[in-house]
Amino acid sequence: MSDAAHGGNPYRVYLITWAILLVITVAMLGAELFHLPRIFLILFLVVFMMVKASMIAGNFMHLRFERRNLSWMVGAGILVTSLILYTFITPESLHVRNASQQPVKESGTAPHPGAGIQE
Amino acid sequence: MEPGAHTAVMEAHWGGGAAPFGASWQKTMMWIFIVTDALLFSGLLCGYAFLRQASPLPWPNRPEVFSIPFIALMTFILITSSMTMGTAVTAARLGDMKKALTNVVFTIVGGLCFLACQAYEWTHLIREGARLTGPVAGSELIEKGVTGQFTQAFFLLTGFHGSHVFSGLVILIITAIRTSMGKTPAQGVEMAGLYWHFVDLVWVFIFTLFYLL
Repeated sequence: MSDAAHGGNPYRVYLITWAILLVITVAMLGAELFHLPRIFLILFLVVFMMVKASMIAGNFMHLRFERRNLSWMVGAGILVTSLILYTFITPESLHVRNASQQPVKESGTAPHPGAGIQE
Repeated sequence: MEPGAHTAVMEAHWGGGAAPFGASWQKTMMWIFIVTDALLFSGLLCGYAFLRQASPLPWPNRPEVFSIPFIALMTFILITSSMTMGTAVTAARLGDMKKALTNVVFTIVGGLCFLACQAYEWTHLIREGARLTGPVAGSELIEKGVTGQFTQAFFLLTGFHGSHVFSGLVILIITAIRTSMGKTPAQGVEMAGLYWHFVDLVWVFIFTLFYLL
């Protein structure tokens, strides 16, 4: 849209975005090879996941060219709701893990949770 | 900035009126649909986070269970199909319906390849003994540390995503047929494109959070 208005190749933005997305994907796949501390690896992957998502939403879905209130509704709406949901489930999931580890430790006869199902 | 100018800017970005988002109603409704669908995946991903965090056993090492290069190939296919879809949307907007149709067809081929890869991945894992309820007794998946939580998260996340790819393909095939008959307006291609890019967007999250993290 804006490229066409400027007289450039209107399809170039897709090729450039595609190339950048591929480079980021390769970087994310290779990140494991550097044996980073776990926290840095998580941070690296999450940051670049968000960069990829913004590039797809901004350039492929043209959110960059829409009115700002539409981008806010979409971006903030999804992110804030997801963060609230994740914040609330985290303590509960840790509670479940601690509770499930207790009986296994005490009796030692509880069935192994990874023992598999019978066909 | 003067107070008047500030009000004008606020009015331009947040003012209501007939088109509060400055977009056609079709596009506004499509975006609202995408937000609700994204919240579905947000719920599924949070469910996966719950299963993983609540699991008393360590989470399986993904490269031992999946072929990560194969998953990378699936990602490549989806990103490429998104690029061809973007090209189709712009071509339709510029009135070049022939180029739009060609690129929609490329996108369909990409989507079919992705679904084929997913079908292969599912078949492979099910043959190894993975079920929705967990690995079957005695399967080698158990030695790899695969648990019921893991297979549930895998089948639900990739299953829901795959079903979205499938419905995206149906929409794209209809768009392609109608475009070849000269019946699809440029906006029709754009709406199909928005949905297709959304499917790609969701894969970015599943690929990172489930396969890499």
